[in-house]
Amino acid sequence: MLTYILRRIGLAGLMLFGLVCLTFVIANIAPSDPAALAAGPDAGRSQIENLRREYGLDRPLHEQFVRYVTDLVQLEFGRSVATGRAVGTDLARYFPATLELCLVAMAIGLLFGVPLGIVSALHKDGPIDHVTRIFAVSGVALPPFWFGLLLQLAFAAWLGWLPTSGRLSVFTEPMEPITGLLLVDSLLAGNGSLFLEAASYIALPALVLSFPCLAQILRVNRSEMVEALRADYIVAARAHGVRQRRIVVVHALKNAMLPTLAIIGLRWGWMMSSTVLVETVFDWPGTGLYAVSSAIAGDFKPVMGVTLIVGLNFMIANLIVDLLYGVLDPRLRSA
Amino acid sequence: MTNRVNRRHFLQGAAALGAAGTFAPFSSVAFERDGNRKILVFTGNQAVPVLDPHWRYDWSTRMIQQSVYDGLLKYVGTPPKIIPWLAEKYEMSPDGKTYTFTLVGNAKFHNGDPVDAEAVRYSFERALKMNAGVAWMLKAFLKPENIVAVDARTVKFTLDRPYAPFITYVPWWYIVNPKQVKANEVDGDLGKKWMTEHEAGSGPFKLRRFDATSLIHMDTVPDYWNGWPMGEKNRLSGFIYRIIRESAPRKAALQRREVDVMAGVTPDDFQQMEKVPGVKMVNFPGFTSFGIKFNCQVGPTADVNVRKAIAYAFDYDAVLAIHNGMAELMTSPFPTPITGHVAVPDMPRRDMAKAKEYLKKSKYPDGGFELEYVHVQGLEDPRRIGLSLLDALRQLDIKVNIVAQPWPTMTARAGKAETAPAMMSVYVTPVGTDPDTVAYQYHRNSWGLYYGVSHYENPAVWQLIADARGETDTAKRMAMYAEIQKALVADQPEIFCMMANRIWGMRDYVRDFAYSPVRSTSEIDPYPLWIEA
Repeated sequence: MLTYILRRIGLAGLMLFGLVCLTFVIANIAPSDPAALAAGPDAGRSQIENLRREYGLDRPLHEQFVRYVTDLVQLEFGRSVATGRAVGTDLARYFPATLELCLVAMAIGLLFGVPLGIVSALHKDGPIDHVTRIFAVSGVALPPFWFGLLLQLAFAAWLGWLPTSGRLSVFTEPMEPITGLLLVDSLLAGNGSLFLEAASYIALPALVLSFPCLAQILRVNRSEMVEALRADYIVAARAHGVRQRRIVVVHALKNAMLPTLAIIGLRWGWMMSSTVLVETVFDWPGTGLYAVSSAIAGDFKPVMGVTLIVGLNFMIANLIVDLLYGVLDPRLRSA
Repeated sequence: MTNRVNRRHFLQGAAALGAAGTFAPFSSVAFERDGNRKILVFTGNQAVPVLDPHWRYDWSTRMIQQSVYDGLLKYVGTPPKIIPWLAEKYEMSPDGKTYTFTLVGNAKFHNGDPVDAEAVRYSFERALKMNAGVAWMLKAFLKPENIVAVDARTVKFTLDRPYAPFITYVPWWYIVNPKQVKANEVDGDLGKKWMTEHEAGSGPFKLRRFDATSLIHMDTVPDYWNGWPMGEKNRLSGFIYRIIRESAPRKAALQRREVDVMAGVTPDDFQQMEKVPGVKMVNFPGFTSFGIKFNCQVGPTADVNVRKAIAYAFDYDAVLAIHNGMAELMTSPFPTPITGHVAVPDMPRRDMAKAKEYLKKSKYPDGGFELEYVHVQGLEDPRRIGLSLLDALRQLDIKVNIVAQPWPTMTARAGKAETAPAMMSVYVTPVGTDPDTVAYQYHRNSWGLYYGVSHYENPAVWQLIADARGETDTAKRMAMYAEIQKALVADQPEIFCMMANRIWGMRDYVRDFAYSPVRSTSEIDPYPLWIEA
């Protein structure tokens, strides 16, 4: 088991290096002049050259790459050309917001996706199944930014139930972060009204972010449940007079959960990257928004930093899923 | 807020959650009160990455800088006027090289230190040394050692050679408190790191909260040295700049009264939002020119007759229609509010006969070539203008390839005539009202910068532009600019197109919104604003 974990971590490291190479190349073949953009529209040549020197952008590419990798090894993400701030500090500031958003979205996806999947399987080809199918297909098909704008229009502009965007009201002084996850922090501090406020702000973006994930979990869970419910051991259990509830939740669901788990691992990674769209629409101050605003400014260190964080999340999530496989399926433990 | 967490707190939080049950509808707020004073919320789409007034500026950044800092002079009104601010007066020597400023006696920084001549000297020196942001305006004419604090209230600037636009740039050079900056210096960085998110100013507002990507909250300074125009009773508690990037949620926020003033309104939004009760839409003649810049060095557009043909074929009325009439055609290469602007008599307007005549004189009498038209990705107006250009040039048998590119790619392509597109649509906002600000874009030294993408070549005009900068006799100088404007129209390095109106939306209780075209695109001056309700 330990060698397995170590091998996986080693592999993840290699993939990460590949990712670094790839993002570096993409960032640098894109025709853009970060120094000129950071210097501002009216800057003269001397100002632009000044910035280029300061950030080492005048060095040959291979030299810049070696420097970037050496910095990364020491957990240095470099500095943003536009703001001069350390990318590492910025990531630490913005990541908790994204993490919170993804966790809530994933929770919504699981809480609704799994039960709906079960219900659809139990009523296979019935009306409920058709309704959830339409729901799931639209979930995968709706572009998140468009869906987000629609929800904003409905719940914020027309109904006025939820705020349009942001993470908290502009008038609310933010609390000192404990975990950085506002929902958790407000509960830890015993501040119920802050919790409700934070919840009202996270509701729409989390819903939008969770939608494709929910849809996929629902569909996968449904088809796996349909398979499982047909299996011999379920027939045997039925013959033994085991109660329906126990058959579904304990026997069938446990076996249907394996592929669902794999989906969760993959979806977590996708979700992290979809934050780029969702956070922009909802002005959610996370890494996605940070990446977008930096990309617009042609500022590539932050974009590369965010890419690495997303990649790392992908890998960690999948590693955890792999390990959980063993927990759910004893046959995989020795493998 | 306390960070100590115990079981009781946790349970209280959980209980409150249970009690509330469902989300209470979040009622919108008109204006948050802070004690008995109101807070005004302004929203726009652009972040404020760096607060340091000597490092960078753009519309959103400068709006905040203008609020926490003061300059020696200030731009107000329309047409823009320069009024005394930290300096109560200034004098120019007859040779146009020395400017002496006398400071007001009562100005104080937010920490109580007096704003004295040394602070002014230090601030200009800092900006020049940092060689970023505003530095380009004066760098070639002013050496740090030639700024002298004569006494506590007198500062003398000696320029290397006469530079007529000098005064029009001074309002953008903000004065920082040298003591605060020096106290926060790290490794001789002139306080650059600290100043990114902190202020050391004397302006009407103090920084309360700075979150570069989402909001900036400023408090009014109760005893601001220059007083408050709306009177102490109506003075706001503060001003919040809330960043909302997408236009739909921005509109929703204004509709819901989550914000009081909104920037970044399109002409289509204008008509839609005008109908919302309690919302007031305002629009003013703009200062930002929209032009389609030709590549004057490479390809068919290197031929002046081709450029003229295109300029005559272009459908100017379509441009006005695209903006629902909320735009003004250029009558000269200079925007109207620029000092010395003259309406040039033979400004091209749509005339297909003339267009064909010019094309006949060119190397391509029957057209038959394709031109690339590049615009900023995601911007709708330039794309639609591109379509109308495509339509117009079809009659000359010139094909147009409309290409949307990200702004960083466009600036990179502008670098060389070989990579510059045949036509690039560009918005340019002059930084000041001096004619040199616009004219210099057509000088050889601007080649390769985004506004110099046309790589326009005419040594006689270049010479005239360079000479006009140093001319101290105003009448003579303005005559030179009249000549430059005519010459530019004759050479047609671009289609001098239009200036779109600037539009804001606000709640009807917002008072004393003061427009000045010289401010950049969506930038406003928060100082005179207040709320009556």
